[in-house]
Amino acid sequence: MASVYFLDVPENRPVVEVAERSQQVHVTKNGPYFEISAAEPFEIDRRATGARHAVWYSCVAGIRGFRIAGWDKNSLRFEIQS
Amino acid sequence: MNALHDKHLVRGVDHAAFPTFDPVGTVRFYRDVLGFPVVHSICAAGWGPEKHPDFIHFFFDIGNGDRIAFFYYFGLEPLPGGRGDAYAQFDDDVPEFFLGSRHLALSVESEDSLNEYQRRLDDSEWATEMRVQHETIESIYTHDPNGYIVEITRALRPVTPQEDVDANLTIDALVDVVSRGDASIHALLNRKAELIVERSDDWDTLLAQPEATS
Repeated sequence: MASVYFLDVPENRPVVEVAERSQQVHVTKNGPYFEISAAEPFEIDRRATGARHAVWYSCVAGIRGFRIAGWDKNSLRFEIQS
Repeated sequence: MNALHDKHLVRGVDHAAFPTFDPVGTVRFYRDVLGFPVVHSICAAGWGPEKHPDFIHFFFDIGNGDRIAFFYYFGLEPLPGGRGDAYAQFDDDVPEFFLGSRHLALSVESEDSLNEYQRRLDDSEWATEMRVQHETIESIYTHDPNGYIVEITRALRPVTPQEDVDANLTIDALVDVVSRGDASIHALLNRKAELIVERSDDWDTLLAQPEATS
């Protein structure tokens, strides 16, 4: 299982909520971080989060077992690190 | 070892100093447009082993008793160069983001205060060039008469303890990846995830005593 971490601040919560809609992810709390775990790739659509760009491009706190396959103004895609 | 050896003792900015070739514009910008009081000045004849020009060192209050200061050297011509500010000149191949990275940001308490400074700037020849909501602050920007970038900013919300913890974790990860010659955001985020896992048993302690305030 790979994980992505987001700091629990008000600006990041909509990002985590949108990610949680993906069937394949599991969200837990690890201290001040949300830990999103999955065994397969997933994507977050910025437009669904309402995050402004400064928030969007700084929302990821850590990645373990994933790699960021794409991060543009509307899409953030995580793939399993090979 | 003395009683102060582990204390965080500094209390903010006494003054940040910059050279100017345009004292008239500088006074108009800081005193007359922004309304920052002149609080100190030194008028000095050049002296010493170097051929030091005569100069004026003058200060404006930027709040909290902190000050921004300028040196004006009589008879000194602006340094040759194309882009940049009164202190630093750069060639055309230096990217704009790098030129914009060095700046002074002053804080205000409210949106009304930020709006007021935007109004003062927009009524002057140094109009607000940009207004941006960043992650947790909102800022306005302009260049002063010397080419220095001045930002005025307000917090959109207070900084939380978990952000201080996260900042310290980020910096630990940055030092680790750059020290081992692996400087990339991917390496940094991987290292941060390792540190998050390593510190998972210590969150209560870390959040109760953020390193930034020790």
